[in-house]
Amino acid sequence: MGKKKQKVVLPPELPPEVLEEDIEVSDEDLQFVNENVDYAGFVSNLDTRSITKHVTRVADVKEDALESLYEKRLRKKQPNKEIEENAIEVHPVDALPVKTLDGKLYYRTVPKEIKKVESESNEGDATGQDMNVVKLTKAEKWAKLKKLRKEAKKQAKEEVQQTSQAEVLDEVKKDLSAEEANESKKYKLAELGMALLADPESNIKSLREMLEISKDGNKAIVVLGLKSLLAVFKDIIPGYRIRLPTEKEQEMKVSKEVKKMRLYESTLLSAYKAYVQRLIAIEQQTVYKRVSVRCICTLLAAVPHFNFRENLLAAVVRNISSRDDVVRNLCCASVKSLFINEGKHGGEATVEAVQMIAELVKTHNCQLHPDSIQVFMFLSFDEDLGKPRVSEVDNKSKNKKSKKRKGFEEPNHLPDNGKKKTRQEMMTKTREEVNADFKAASFSQDLSERRRMQSQTLSAVFQTFFRILKHAMKPTSEASSLLGASGSHPLLVPCLNGVGKFSHLIDLDFMADLMNCLRKLAGNGSKSEDLSENSSNYLTVSERLLCCIVAFKVMRNNLDALNVDLQDFFVQFYNLILEYRPGRDQGEVLAEALKIMLCDDRQHDMQRAAAFIKRLATFSLCFGSAESMAALVTIKHLLQKNVKCRNLLENDAGGGSVAGAIVKYQPYASDPNLSGALASVLWELNLLTKHYHPAVSTMASGISTMGTANNQVYHSIVSPQQAFKESSLEQESFVVSGDIKRSNNKRKRGNDTLSCVKVQPDVNLKDQPNENEVRKKLTEHFLLLRDITENQRLRGELDQTTLSLNLYEQYKKQKRKTRKIS
Amino acid sequence: MGKLGKKARKFAKKNLQSVLKRNRKTKALFKKKSSKDEQKDVETQEGNAIGPSNGSIMVTDNIEDASIDAVFAEGDKDEGEDGSDSDGYLSEDSSSPYVAENVTGHILEDENASSTYVELNKNIHADLVMKKKKLDRLKKKDPEFSKFLESYYESIQIAETYSDEDERSDPGQQDEDDPAKSEEKPLTDSIISFWCKMVTEKHNQSALISLLNAYRAACHFGAKTIGYKFQNSGGFCNILMFMLSNADDIFRRLFQLSSLNCRKEAIVELKNSSKWKDLRPLVKCYLRSTLFLLNQVTDSEILAFTMTRLGASLLFVAAFPSLLHRLVKATVSLWATGAAVLSSAAFLIIRDVATVFGSNYWNTCVSKISVAYLARSRVSEIVDAKHLQFLRDSIIQLCSLDVQKSSAKALASISQLAKILQWGLQTKKKEAVEKICSWEYVNCIDLWVRFISANVHDYDLRPLMFMTIQIINGLAYMFAGPRYFPLRLKCIQWLSSLSSSSGIFIPVASFVLDVLEYKVVKEGGRSRNTFNVTSVLKLPKFYLKSQSFQEECLLSVIEQLSVHFAQWSCHISFPELAAIPLIRLRKFQEITTTENLRRMVKRFIDQVEQNVDFIQRKRDEVPFSPNDYQSADSFLQLEKSSLQTPFTQYYRGVLEKASQKSLHECGKMSLLEPRKLKRNKVERKKGIAVKENHPADENGILG
Repeated sequence: MGKKKQKVVLPPELPPEVLEEDIEVSDEDLQFVNENVDYAGFVSNLDTRSITKHVTRVADVKEDALESLYEKRLRKKQPNKEIEENAIEVHPVDALPVKTLDGKLYYRTVPKEIKKVESESNEGDATGQDMNVVKLTKAEKWAKLKKLRKEAKKQAKEEVQQTSQAEVLDEVKKDLSAEEANESKKYKLAELGMALLADPESNIKSLREMLEISKDGNKAIVVLGLKSLLAVFKDIIPGYRIRLPTEKEQEMKVSKEVKKMRLYESTLLSAYKAYVQRLIAIEQQTVYKRVSVRCICTLLAAVPHFNFRENLLAAVVRNISSRDDVVRNLCCASVKSLFINEGKHGGEATVEAVQMIAELVKTHNCQLHPDSIQVFMFLSFDEDLGKPRVSEVDNKSKNKKSKKRKGFEEPNHLPDNGKKKTRQEMMTKTREEVNADFKAASFSQDLSERRRMQSQTLSAVFQTFFRILKHAMKPTSEASSLLGASGSHPLLVPCLNGVGKFSHLIDLDFMADLMNCLRKLAGNGSKSEDLSENSSNYLTVSERLLCCIVAFKVMRNNLDALNVDLQDFFVQFYNLILEYRPGRDQGEVLAEALKIMLCDDRQHDMQRAAAFIKRLATFSLCFGSAESMAALVTIKHLLQKNVKCRNLLENDAGGGSVAGAIVKYQPYASDPNLSGALASVLWELNLLTKHYHPAVSTMASGISTMGTANNQVYHSIVSPQQAFKESSLEQESFVVSGDIKRSNNKRKRGNDTLSCVKVQPDVNLKDQPNENEVRKKLTEHFLLLRDITENQRLRGELDQTTLSLNLYEQYKKQKRKTRKIS
Repeated sequence: MGKLGKKARKFAKKNLQSVLKRNRKTKALFKKKSSKDEQKDVETQEGNAIGPSNGSIMVTDNIEDASIDAVFAEGDKDEGEDGSDSDGYLSEDSSSPYVAENVTGHILEDENASSTYVELNKNIHADLVMKKKKLDRLKKKDPEFSKFLESYYESIQIAETYSDEDERSDPGQQDEDDPAKSEEKPLTDSIISFWCKMVTEKHNQSALISLLNAYRAACHFGAKTIGYKFQNSGGFCNILMFMLSNADDIFRRLFQLSSLNCRKEAIVELKNSSKWKDLRPLVKCYLRSTLFLLNQVTDSEILAFTMTRLGASLLFVAAFPSLLHRLVKATVSLWATGAAVLSSAAFLIIRDVATVFGSNYWNTCVSKISVAYLARSRVSEIVDAKHLQFLRDSIIQLCSLDVQKSSAKALASISQLAKILQWGLQTKKKEAVEKICSWEYVNCIDLWVRFISANVHDYDLRPLMFMTIQIINGLAYMFAGPRYFPLRLKCIQWLSSLSSSSGIFIPVASFVLDVLEYKVVKEGGRSRNTFNVTSVLKLPKFYLKSQSFQEECLLSVIEQLSVHFAQWSCHISFPELAAIPLIRLRKFQEITTTENLRRMVKRFIDQVEQNVDFIQRKRDEVPFSPNDYQSADSFLQLEKSSLQTPFTQYYRGVLEKASQKSLHECGKMSLLEPRKLKRNKVERKKGIAVKENHPADENGILG
């Protein structure tokens, strides 16, 4: 029956030597599967069995799918052989190759291994390369075990000798037995692991044993067990998802090999299940938290396609906002790797992860660690999926939008959301089943499937983002009294970054609401500050600046197609400049705002530009060189673009024809359009040319000559961000350049003596000590010294006399002795 | 070697008690010699780093063990200077009739110093008499016993002389085998005055020799007896006073040198003169004895007198380089630790050495005094601010003698500071923070800031100044919290002084205004105005909550802004300069609840606004544009000095008040010290916030 099917599948026009990938992705295959969804199940069923068939037999099959699978099998076997060959030179465990997804094998050299083992010993870090770490853990463990075994052998020998001599040592042995048991368990683990790695199919049952050992009471053993199991699983888990045969299938007659394969798979799966369950159970205990999270994260990153991924993912997402930095970083890294390596799991895991994080944000009322949202930045959305995607996204976001609008009016939009979700989930489930079967056969991906998943991801991401934005807008009392004033909106910054990054994917209809939201947030601080100064609702200046930036980014990414007035943001920004404090706020954000809002702005509003020029010039008089540089660079940009603003550089006695309705400059105005800056003169530049920082002063003098110099061609200048970064204190190298030492010359007068005379000392005038006084003091000094010497002398004599007296006793004794003798 | 060292120590313990006392005193203030090698290591490291590559950031990892004064340590290499040339006993004409005169009358204590030793000695003496009697009785009773005793002591003596041999090989103690050791000639007033007369009137050389020997004995009195024995204090005083005040004149007369001639060339002249060979030992004897006296005596007035006299005959010292080194070393330690008069006398010597004897000595002097200054700064709380100021000023004076070289030194020192700061900014480690927020670091910056301010007019110190400003900015940026308010205040003051001395513009307004926005939990009420903010770098926590802290903050804000504005009050861009500070001050005025503070701010704002109006009016009239720098610079320059507007008077008033306050505080400090301690004690007893009042915390050590 199986063979019949294969014949049907076989496309006659395809030559057999074509690469497997080409065939897999071919549209015809897809079409075929789409058309015969019902048959696809059989195809997949058949695959699992036929793999075994063809692997065990001599290869004589033409079918492409099978061939590819067969090839993989073969490759998997090869390394084992090679290891055996290498065993003499290198320890077999150390030499185990790592297989990447595309089937390439990496052999490790011995020195490299040793180095890595050393570096592995600090378990705290190593968040990035989980693959490596786990491999190494294994290697390290092996090395350790080998050593231990040797020692134990020695010990055993000694003990044998000793027992023959004395049986009293039995008691000692008993004490040692616990340790020995532990040792033996370690060997056992090592041996089982080795055997499993060498030949997984025949030794698959020892997984159970390893599991048992890992349930030991001793912490070290448990950790070792978990880690070695992790290493084993990572190596032997196949590249497909195991589906256990149904009852019907089991009733059917199958060949020996198929039976064997089935047994192998079911054992593997059940062991894996137990392992995952154990990990998730143990994760709650603080002692094993890090180990289990590390194992879970590694598994998730390594085998996201395999069964029980959902459980792993749930555990990871649960810990993504953990207070423990190590745990959190591990989780973030594994989620990141899911997002980046979508090829491993076909994107399903991405959708799940995003949805889970969205749920987490919802349940925790936006009070999470920023990292948990930061991972969204690593999502990638393929825009080349074609038009259908767009339409679907539109659909989705339309739905969402309506939902959102409702949400704006009435806060309890959750039931609606839930209903939607269940429906979505239902759909996903049914589709997933089909998809899983299909995927197992072909590894290719349906375009529409990908589109669907992407739209799901997007909707979850934006749902999260908007939830956070809305939460930030809520009045303080509701928001949270739990976390207090410190960082009341922890998720806002990554959320804004995310909105900025993915703003091109937001539906246009939805934009107005977003802009409204951002506008409110940007103006948040100024409104509430009169009422309550210390309220946690008070957004920081950086956050508000970020809101302005994001608003502009959103506009720009949508090609300014929106008809939204950005004037409000300019007003906010105009005032925010004054709120900026160097130590407290991030200068980088300010520089970015300057760049995006002023330098890149395409609108030419002279009045506004002049106001900003004036304000920035004033600003740079007050703050450090980095901020000044950023401001001055922006001023230069603005002056280049707005030719008429160069009137600011000249003291036009007439007041200027360009001056608007406001004749006099109002330095304290809060609206740039009402400041009347065009009537002012940039006198600041005069003072700035005296600035201590050479870069600032040259920049200022450069700007002040722009008005007179008519050359329109300016060479490209740096962005404010760059300028800020270059002159910020951390970046600034305090080292003087070489020529400075040479230029260290006298400036005006070269007369050395002259300056000598000038700095005559003032100490000279102080009266000299009185001679009589000195005489008196000398007398005292003399008497003191004399007394001391006298004291010493007397003491010496006294000592001698007492010694003599003591000696008398001795003398008497001696005398008595001599008398006796005589 | 170890054995020898042990012996030497034992010897010193036995015989040089006052020296030991001194040592103990100075040791507390100076880094132990043992650390010097380490310092040198660091220095060589740094030398490598500063060398051609000019210190890339790679070196930052060994910054940790770099000390701030490493740059100066280079001069200290000649520690093990030779004590080899002895000031040996000058052989006298024994035929001299004046010496032979023997005064047999044993003069008993006619003067009583009220020292505790007198009582003690009496007791011991009584004890001794009793025991002696007992011993004599025993001896009489049993003559064999005396024989036994004799043999016993003999054996002991043999052992002692045997062990003494090691000691003799020690060059430091070669006075032991001095021929004159055994004979002790008693000296009386009459002999001394006779000698003096002989020397002053008849220029008798043999009398001079006797005098010098007597002087030597006097200087070594107490430590060991050589040659002469002093009967009473009169003779002792006479000989010391006479020699100290007249020796210089006598020698100059012998060499026929004018007393004013103090140039370097004079030394060459001196060495070439025919008499030099004969008189050299005499001069050397005098100088060595005097130096010994310097190390021996602890009283500041004797020291000061000796110092001034030694300063007069510096020319002779210079003829003996090893003596000069020793002199410099002793002087520097006295300069750093001594009281006002002594310190200034010592500095005069140092300065003369540095000016007269060429750049080599200038180098060593600058290095040594800088190291000593920084060593003195290694405390958590400055107690004697005036003295440290004096020390700083004298270093600056010395450095100003050769600005070229000292600016090179300053550059090296500042790059060292910069590296430490960079390390701190990058790692934010606790050790780094501690190292930077220390008086040593701060005083080092202070030193160079003053140096630049003093010399920036005549020399081009721009690169040095730029570096310094960057460091100060970094410092202010790194320590932003309210607890570091004193440090920030210092930074602002430095920047202002650099700006006003050089005429360049340094923005300080934002640093100043940040002080207004310190987030402090307001408690108010208890006013503890006894605390002196300037004596620490980091404030104790309890102080932050007090009302007086707020007042202090506002007061210093107004002061510092006044300094800043006064400098630029007539500059054409003053209105813009004042714009942002005015906005923020107004905000503060709105927020603050204390009427007193509000009034102060209001007054300040009013004055500044007047200033702004004034400048605005004036500049509306000018015809030139901002790019016309010359006209802009000359704007209102004529009026600046003669301006009698209320705002300038206001600034002046604020500044005067501030300087008065700081003077007052300096004077008040010492008086308040005990009271403050008492207050702390009381609080500790009460148990109020034990942690806050922890002494270390109060001194600003703990983070």
